[in-house]
Amino acid sequence: MPNDLAIRIEELSITYKVSLEAKRTLKNAVMRASLKQKERTRTIEAVKSLTLDVPHGSVLGIVGSNGAGKSTLMRCIAGILSPTEGRVIVNGKISTLLALGVGFNPALSGRDNIILGGLASGLNMDEISDKTDEIAEFAALPDGFIDLPVRTYSSGMYGRLSFAVAVSMTPDILLLDEALSAGDAAFKEKSFERMRQLCAEARTILIVSHALATVTDLCDTAIWMHKGSLVAKGKPEEIVDGYLKFLNVGSLPSSYEDM
Amino acid sequence: MAWDGTLTPMPVNEDFVPKIQVFEPHRASLPPLIPYLKEFWTRRSFALELARFTDKAEYLDSRLGKIWLVLNPLLLGFVYYLVVTIIRPGGKDPGLTRLDHLLIGLFTFYFAQNCVTAGASSITAGGRLILNQAFPRALLPFSSAIQSFQQFLPTIPVYIFVLVVGKWAYPTTIVPGWTWNFLWIPFILICTGLTGFGLALVFATLNVYFRDTNKLLTYITRIWMYLSPVLWLPNTLRGSMKILLYINPLGPVLDATSRVWVSGESLNKLSFYGSIFWALASIMIGGYFFISRERDFAIRI
Ligand SMILES: Nc1ncnc2c1ncn2[C@@H]1O[C@H](COP(=O)(O)OP(=O)(O)OP(=O)(O)O)[C@@H](O)[C@H]1O
Ligand SMILES: [Mg+2]
Repeated sequence: MPNDLAIRIEELSITYKVSLEAKRTLKNAVMRASLKQKERTRTIEAVKSLTLDVPHGSVLGIVGSNGAGKSTLMRCIAGILSPTEGRVIVNGKISTLLALGVGFNPALSGRDNIILGGLASGLNMDEISDKTDEIAEFAALPDGFIDLPVRTYSSGMYGRLSFAVAVSMTPDILLLDEALSAGDAAFKEKSFERMRQLCAEARTILIVSHALATVTDLCDTAIWMHKGSLVAKGKPEEIVDGYLKFLNVGSLPSSYEDM
Repeated sequence: MAWDGTLTPMPVNEDFVPKIQVFEPHRASLPPLIPYLKEFWTRRSFALELARFTDKAEYLDSRLGKIWLVLNPLLLGFVYYLVVTIIRPGGKDPGLTRLDHLLIGLFTFYFAQNCVTAGASSITAGGRLILNQAFPRALLPFSSAIQSFQQFLPTIPVYIFVLVVGKWAYPTTIVPGWTWNFLWIPFILICTGLTGFGLALVFATLNVYFRDTNKLLTYITRIWMYLSPVLWLPNTLRGSMKILLYINPLGPVLDATSRVWVSGESLNKLSFYGSIFWALASIMIGGYFFISRERDFAIRI
């Protein structure tokens, strides 16, 4: 892999096999086996032979309608899902902020969760205790909420904390999936600021967002995914334009059809 | 409120350390084990802290909760003792020796049982963590094992307390004085923990595929306890029945527990090798079962 690439994706396909049974239980499995039935399943191709190179220091926006496979792609780059076919090569330390937020345990305080999240992502205890205050400060939760259980948080507070954790890991590659949607205007400004700073430090950022302005504002390249395939790649403005047209018209532009 | 730039400015990405990771379809049934174990080892403090925090979260609002952890097996121990002495009154065990055997057996059994049941649900309960972060998944059941051990520890002074009070009330109770054989105790606990952790790996994996595994597990552990030398003494088994003690993953360690804790004896060969065998077998079988499937967990949760 060339040295200037942060991520190389080769002919990547990811399929989910979904059970159509109401509940996957041992009991049902035994019943099925005794009746010689097969489990009813459906295969969903979430990503279809996608090829993409992401150079170091680029900020890539990913747009596409619901179910296009954006989150699936992000999970695969993070090493959480493994490919069904193809290959993903990643060069650098990854930090993820995926749709569900960092793995927060709702019964624990924000501070405890920061520590756990940091340790899970591979920091050691010294590194994370240095960072905890910094993260808490950046998230700027009101009224000492940082020491209350996460279950008492509003979704925006939750989002703030997740974002603060993800950007504090000084990642080489930062994956953000719908990360900026929950914060209020003030926090959005602050997080944009922080992301620009990360961009300036030549870190690689992948942003999935339905807020298309985020993509045009922050990204230097964008891709558009549709039903698991890459439809187009190019300048954010052009991609967003094409995507908006598609949303209004409802069909893929003919020039994209064979891609 | 505008951000005043208090975050420490970071240098231009000079801390970039090339770290190439390749993600490919997992045709091979096991991922490369050495990197896996290395990752596991570097994140061991995650398992430790998770155990500590989970404990804290569970018992945050009740001091009583923590006491209950000790009280519960203790009271159960007394109940079982009553039942057992009613079924077989007298016996040839002097004083409260049999109660002591029952208690330490029960405490040790619960240690293993907690490893298994808590570990079994650790993956399905760890939803967000699993979906959003890549790390060796075995850390979650491992953390449950650590937590179970931490819950086991306070039962030791309780056991000693009962022992001393029992000796005072019934002077015929056998209480071993200090002997070097007590040095077997760490060995027994390590084997118990490893066996529990290994089995937890099996059930945690099953639980991802079949969500009623946990329910099944409550029956399994109950039957398992009756088949273990907790309510009965290992030496009551005669002839071919003795095999019961060795086909049970916890049989040898519980036999050893009784020998060392209650009688102050050393292990015999069978309980020594049996303990080692089951610890290794559980870890290897459980580890293979779990690690070869853990890359599927994220899509099945
Ligand atoms: N855990 C899962 N099990 C089965 N199928 C899944 C799972 N997660 C996603 N899918 C399917 O994979 C496809 C892609 O989903 P994905 O979440 O990647 O879409 P997305 O582009 O992130 O959509 P959104 O914009 O709504 O977040 C969808 O058809 C979805 O139904
Ligand atoms: Mg998504």
